[in-house]
Amino acid sequence: MSITDLIYLSQKSLRSNILRSILTSLGIIIGVSSVITMISIGTGARIEVEQQIERFGSNNLIVRSQSSSNRGVSMGANSVNTLTLKDMEALKEELPAIKAIAPNVALSTQIVANGNNWLATVTGTTNDYFDLGNWKFENGRSFEEEELSSGARVAIIGKTVQKNLFDTDSPIDEVIRINKVPFTVIGLLDEKGGTAWADLDDTVIVPLKTAKQRLVAKKFPGDQIRSMTINVRSSDLLFKTEKDVDTVMRKLHKISANGNPDFVIRNYAQFLNARQESSRVMSILLATVAGISLIVGGIGIMNIMLVTVTERTKEIGVCMSVGAKKRDILLQFLIESLMISLIGGLIGIALGLGVIFGVSEYFKWKMSLDYMSIVLSFVFSSSIGIIFGFYPARKAANLNPIDALRYE
Amino acid sequence: MGDNKLLALDNIDLSISEGDFVSIMGSSGSGKSTLMNIIGCLDVPSSGEYHFRDNNVSTLNSNKLAELRNKDIGFVFQNFNLLPRLNAQENVVLPLLYSGKNLKERNKLAIEALESVGLKDRVHHRPNQLSGGQQQRVSIARAIAGSPKLILADEPTGALDSKTGLEIMKILNDLNAQGITIVLVTHEDDIANYGSRIIKMKDGKILEDKKNVNN
Repeated sequence: MSITDLIYLSQKSLRSNILRSILTSLGIIIGVSSVITMISIGTGARIEVEQQIERFGSNNLIVRSQSSSNRGVSMGANSVNTLTLKDMEALKEELPAIKAIAPNVALSTQIVANGNNWLATVTGTTNDYFDLGNWKFENGRSFEEEELSSGARVAIIGKTVQKNLFDTDSPIDEVIRINKVPFTVIGLLDEKGGTAWADLDDTVIVPLKTAKQRLVAKKFPGDQIRSMTINVRSSDLLFKTEKDVDTVMRKLHKISANGNPDFVIRNYAQFLNARQESSRVMSILLATVAGISLIVGGIGIMNIMLVTVTERTKEIGVCMSVGAKKRDILLQFLIESLMISLIGGLIGIALGLGVIFGVSEYFKWKMSLDYMSIVLSFVFSSSIGIIFGFYPARKAANLNPIDALRYE
Repeated sequence: MGDNKLLALDNIDLSISEGDFVSIMGSSGSGKSTLMNIIGCLDVPSSGEYHFRDNNVSTLNSNKLAELRNKDIGFVFQNFNLLPRLNAQENVVLPLLYSGKNLKERNKLAIEALESVGLKDRVHHRPNQLSGGQQQRVSIARAIAGSPKLILADEPTGALDSKTGLEIMKILNDLNAQGITIVLVTHEDDIANYGSRIIKMKDGKILEDKKNVNN
């Protein structure tokens, strides 16, 4: 008896009881869709973390000013700029592990060009900013030394700003007005894409000096800056350097080791770890659901197959009387349970894809479909069909032909 | 019961020659079903021997028994025993499936068998769309599709009205005329009369074994 004949006979009997077949595979459906969702969440998280590292640079620390309340009065977030260019120079000098530091000031303001206007974040910084943030140029160039030192009115814009002010036209050499001050566009940055929190491409970058003189003179007087991005020479030195920066900054700002600092140091590794951890918890949860439902699903299949064998005892007797061997009966029932679990697997895959699509669409979670997970689901569901189908099938095959024929 | 051994068949010595038409009669409990099961290679005797053609059946395992039933023996049951989900042709194909014939050949054989019992226009009907007589003819087609040497008919007319029963007996008679050995179990005298030899059983023993003079 060939496999195609067996499959033909099996689908006949499954179709004669289609509702029961589908209900039986419910456990497998839930199990398989959980497996696929779980794996997709895992890979999605991993890919997102890799992309974040790609976007922000992996060995960066960010130092920001923070209102201190050590005199009993909270000044509110960002109300005082405690960081200065002097801090930056001192850090560079004291800590050889630091490769580069990009200082910045920023404001959110109206940009006008080409008859359009657009609200964007304007950042004043140096050329190090591009290297540290992994920014690439689609067009144009970075600042020249002379432009940085003289405070030239030149600007480099991101893709979102280009789209809103110039549509698809090249913005290079065009004039934009930032806070009514005219700037010449000299560069266009490559697209980075959005994160869940911010559109990274919605940015305008000007030389630090220009920004301090013409845009934020009141907000950041003297050599005050908003924050600095510190690039550490190697990732092994990241955590040690974070401590060293803290020590040096406390010394510069005359804050004792256990006093409240007026600055805060962040590194992306922390943030990424948290992100990875939360998706790991989610995956474990789903793996548990998947495991339990696959086992329950398997038992469901065994249960229904036992019922089926009993129901069809007489039929088994007839098949034996016309020449079916034990092996033929065993295979037929095995294939039937295999088909139930594979149908469950297929529906589960479809459901899983739906969940993946839905979640990534509505929650903006990064989910990546791993084709291995589909293969894995097939292997899972078919082995469950075979393992849990074996006992009922063997029971059928071991029936005595006479007893089976006589069964009513 | 209890400690007493119950012998379904007791000291049976019987030989049936090829091409014969044997009717076995007896009330329920007479052992005729057990004898049928042994002749049909569905069961092996707990003691003694049974030879079917060149095989000592008593020594065969379940796979060999299945092969014998598949190739050389056809069964016709009182309640037809057709598979309800399969149509007439698929039911007739069933034994050919197990003998491993290819698709083309087995469909051809099945159609031929159905034709020979006069059901050419009913090949795609399922059992519940057929009358009792038609169902029994499908089951005869199933029995002969693999060109067996022996057909065992267990009360083949028991579930049919007398007119249809006669039609079925006529088919069996024709098959016998073609050289197929028929062993028929019945308790009706006029049905048993189709046989050329009538065996009467009681309490596991052969009571009477004679040539049928009426035939």
